[in-house]
Amino acid sequence: MCGIVGAFNSGGRLPDPVVFANAQRQLASRGPDDSGTWHDSHVRLGHRRLSVVDLSPSGHQPMVSSDGRCVIVFNGEIYNHMEIRDQLTAPGGQWNGSSDTETLLEAYRAWGIQCLQRLQGMFAFAIWDKAERRLFLARDRLGAKPLYYSWIDGTFVFGSRPAAVVPLSPGAHEIDSQALRMYLELGYIPAPLSLYRQMRKLSAAHYMTVDERGVKVVRYWDYRHIPVDSTLLKRDENELADELDEYLKRAVQSRLISDVPLGAFLSSGVDSAMVVAAMRASGVSRPKAFTISFSEQEYDEGPAARRIADILGAEHRTEKLAVADLLALLPAYVEAFDEPFADSSAFPTMAVARLARQEVTVALTGDGADELFGGYHYYSHVGQLARLNRLPEPARALLRTLLRQLPTHKAKLVAGALRFDDPVQIFNYLRSCAKDFGPLVDSSVLQSTEGSTAWFEQFAAGFSVDLSEAEVGMRLDQGFMLANSYLQKVDVATMAYSLEARCPMLDYRLVEWSMRLPAHFKIRGGQTKYLLKKVLCRYLPAEVVHQPKRGFGVPIAQWLRGPLRSWAESLIHDPNVMSRLPLDKAHVEKLFRIHLSGKRDVHPVLWATLMLLCFVARHDLRQQLPETAPRLAA
Amino acid sequence: MRDQVETAETSRAHSPPRALVVVSATYADGGIQRFNRTFLTACDQLGMTSEVLSLGDSFEASSSWSEPSSTSVRVFNHNKPRFALEAFAKILSGGHDVIVVGHINLLWLVAAATQVKRKPRVILIAHGIEVWTGLTGLRARALRAVDTILCVSRYTRQAIQSQVPQLADERFTIFPNALSESWRSITARSSPDLPPRFILSVTRMDRGDRYKGIPTVLEALAMVEDDSLQYIIAGRGNDVDFIKGVAERLGVAHRVHFVGSVPDSELATLYSQCLAFVLPSAKEGFGIVFLEAMFFGACVIAASEKGAVDVVQHESTGLLVPYGDTAALKTCIDRVGANPILRRKLAEAGRATVIDDGAFTFRSYVGRLGRTLNLAEDASHG
Repeated sequence: MCGIVGAFNSGGRLPDPVVFANAQRQLASRGPDDSGTWHDSHVRLGHRRLSVVDLSPSGHQPMVSSDGRCVIVFNGEIYNHMEIRDQLTAPGGQWNGSSDTETLLEAYRAWGIQCLQRLQGMFAFAIWDKAERRLFLARDRLGAKPLYYSWIDGTFVFGSRPAAVVPLSPGAHEIDSQALRMYLELGYIPAPLSLYRQMRKLSAAHYMTVDERGVKVVRYWDYRHIPVDSTLLKRDENELADELDEYLKRAVQSRLISDVPLGAFLSSGVDSAMVVAAMRASGVSRPKAFTISFSEQEYDEGPAARRIADILGAEHRTEKLAVADLLALLPAYVEAFDEPFADSSAFPTMAVARLARQEVTVALTGDGADELFGGYHYYSHVGQLARLNRLPEPARALLRTLLRQLPTHKAKLVAGALRFDDPVQIFNYLRSCAKDFGPLVDSSVLQSTEGSTAWFEQFAAGFSVDLSEAEVGMRLDQGFMLANSYLQKVDVATMAYSLEARCPMLDYRLVEWSMRLPAHFKIRGGQTKYLLKKVLCRYLPAEVVHQPKRGFGVPIAQWLRGPLRSWAESLIHDPNVMSRLPLDKAHVEKLFRIHLSGKRDVHPVLWATLMLLCFVARHDLRQQLPETAPRLAA
Repeated sequence: MRDQVETAETSRAHSPPRALVVVSATYADGGIQRFNRTFLTACDQLGMTSEVLSLGDSFEASSSWSEPSSTSVRVFNHNKPRFALEAFAKILSGGHDVIVVGHINLLWLVAAATQVKRKPRVILIAHGIEVWTGLTGLRARALRAVDTILCVSRYTRQAIQSQVPQLADERFTIFPNALSESWRSITARSSPDLPPRFILSVTRMDRGDRYKGIPTVLEALAMVEDDSLQYIIAGRGNDVDFIKGVAERLGVAHRVHFVGSVPDSELATLYSQCLAFVLPSAKEGFGIVFLEAMFFGACVIAASEKGAVDVVQHESTGLLVPYGDTAALKTCIDRVGANPILRRKLAEAGRATVIDDGAFTFRSYVGRLGRTLNLAEDASHG
């Protein structure tokens, strides 16, 4: 795991080395073990290294190919790199070292851009091809590793963090109105947008080429169109469980390659338990497992995780915190994220990453299982709501009115969802943090931008036809929430402590298999992750697998009425911050008052707003001006 | 000519078959309507007399097509009770050798009437999407009253059989569509106003038509090697704004041209000048638009789904991609864009299917219908 940065200018106008070094320093936490730069007349590349595979100097980056034609900076892991080596001729008859970077470089030399089809892993990299005078950049299929870029006035710059790109992009200080609106609706900024108007994120499963003609962005892998295989409905369930078990073991096994200590996050839930179980099944005799335990019993997953660890024979480490202790992580949270980010589950992720880093450099996580195997009840709710929405409009209107009178959050949620006809729109509403609280951006932004629904609908337009509503929801979650929020959280929260996180559930072969699996094997009779739980029952007693999840939700709603109230008020009332954002200040203040009064819990949208204000207060950012700065070329 | 007239007169002297044809519509500009017109023209060629009851047509619309002299069309302007009474009366009065049902939704009517009166031969035309699902209960029972089901594609047949497995193989006839003869009188003219390199889609664009795959084409357009490649979309619908939004978000709006509905003569020009006709649709019952494109020499790219695979043979008469697979579509567009020899080869093979003795010519269609109806070739006009 590492950090990469670079610049390209076909006319040779490259950033000043001192400025470049400053940009490279922004990646220090991603790569504390080594640092390197390389340049020629058109390209400057920088790298910060966290040594995980091949700890020797032969893994140093930027790495130049044996024939001197290509130079690479690479962040990530190629899990099948030894298999790829078997298909390649060693450069000069002998490999220089055992790093996956060298393998990737030679794979590119052998197969060009098509090398992407052979890679299994998580990655973001850039290869400067001197012969083609072309920079080739790519991001892994699921979007585990980040890559930001900017292209202004013929200079292309890229980096693992916006903080590394900003110093190389003079004038990159305007807020992108579209990104702002998306963020306030979703709580994260989906690729290719970034909060900076002149910066973009390369989307998952895309590569790009940059040369004197310009920038070309191409998708090289797509799961959206994979049809559900209805013949699997006739297959024996145990056979399918066998298949899934095999996929999981293979995915975990391939992620065990490491020359440094390796462990896993463990909660009381199914996903992380499945990963630890697969580690044992793959031959790890005593996997190290890390859990954050809370002194408040209602939140504490510690004892349940301990039991799972004992049964699986894991070496279990816990750290006991009070929930309030997480508040102490707020400065680190704000520091770590280079874009506003409103998922408060980053707090416990950071806490467990900090704990794990004391003993290991690599940790396996269960991320992705919910989206692939139906881990959320609302997947089935989308279908139920879609059926309800077939009622004639007068009946729906009456139902909405009745539901709004009920005091529960769920009733209001259903009432809101009853406005929509289409499963994609219903899903977008359920996943939005803005719900029906009214737009927070001002009217000028509303008029010049689109709501997130249009983006969801565009993404869904490529879905295989005849998907159930639940399957539509899962694929949307995978494309938006997982790729742009959860994986960003995992990357940023673990990198803040120089820990490499690996997500076996996101092995692309497993992802493709899960796409073909009918929803019947995912959510059945109110039970989520049906088939995954069936597999886990082979490793853990059924009562452990099916125990109610003691979910931990960071109590942001209470914090905003208590310990964070004055902090929130100072941000909301800070004229220097508010004036830099095109927000409806009166509406923000009103929402805060409503929340404080306890009449409604509006903390998701409030928290998103506060994270935005906090971010803007720390960075030199201002409102997008109408057509002043140069537009991003691609 | 004289020979033809004499043949027809001879045929009628031997009591040419009389058909009662109940259809949803005949005159409007849709796929099913076009099929119906081709079907009725073919019946005329075979010397049949057709009495058509058309539920959805109005008197005003009837001026858009001049039916053959052997065909009489009664329109009902969506008046279902009157339409049902008339159809019942016609069936009970007898006098028809065959009843042709143009849409599954009308089958119950014929099935009920033939319970009362000894039934002549009943033929159902299965176009596509309307029979792919929902064949349960009364619809499935009504299907058993049908002697022959004409399926426009193999997929349609498979979809019916998977829902009503009791239907024996002998009841099915694969009955592909044909290029309408009206296209043959149109000459594609060269237009200097068109972009030098463009791909083309011709489709309806309503919200319910997103399966046509236009957003996928736009995604592919944003990725293709040739940044100068333009995209022309002909057709109308209430989803055009959404599609324009997709083009905006992908940064290709300046390369996409919405030309709305265009007359057939202009369509011919578009077909003849495009680099490729691209419609990666998930649910084409048959895809007659592919035949039109092929006739004017377009290289066709379609999705390997449903009825389209009967029309487009991969790497022979066109290229097929998995539905929704933007990367595969991008590769195909790049290939035909960069390789004029491949383009010409595919276009020529495609055109061969709609000219001379090609499988999708009207002549072949008439022959197929004659064999289906057990009419001797010499009974036909053509």
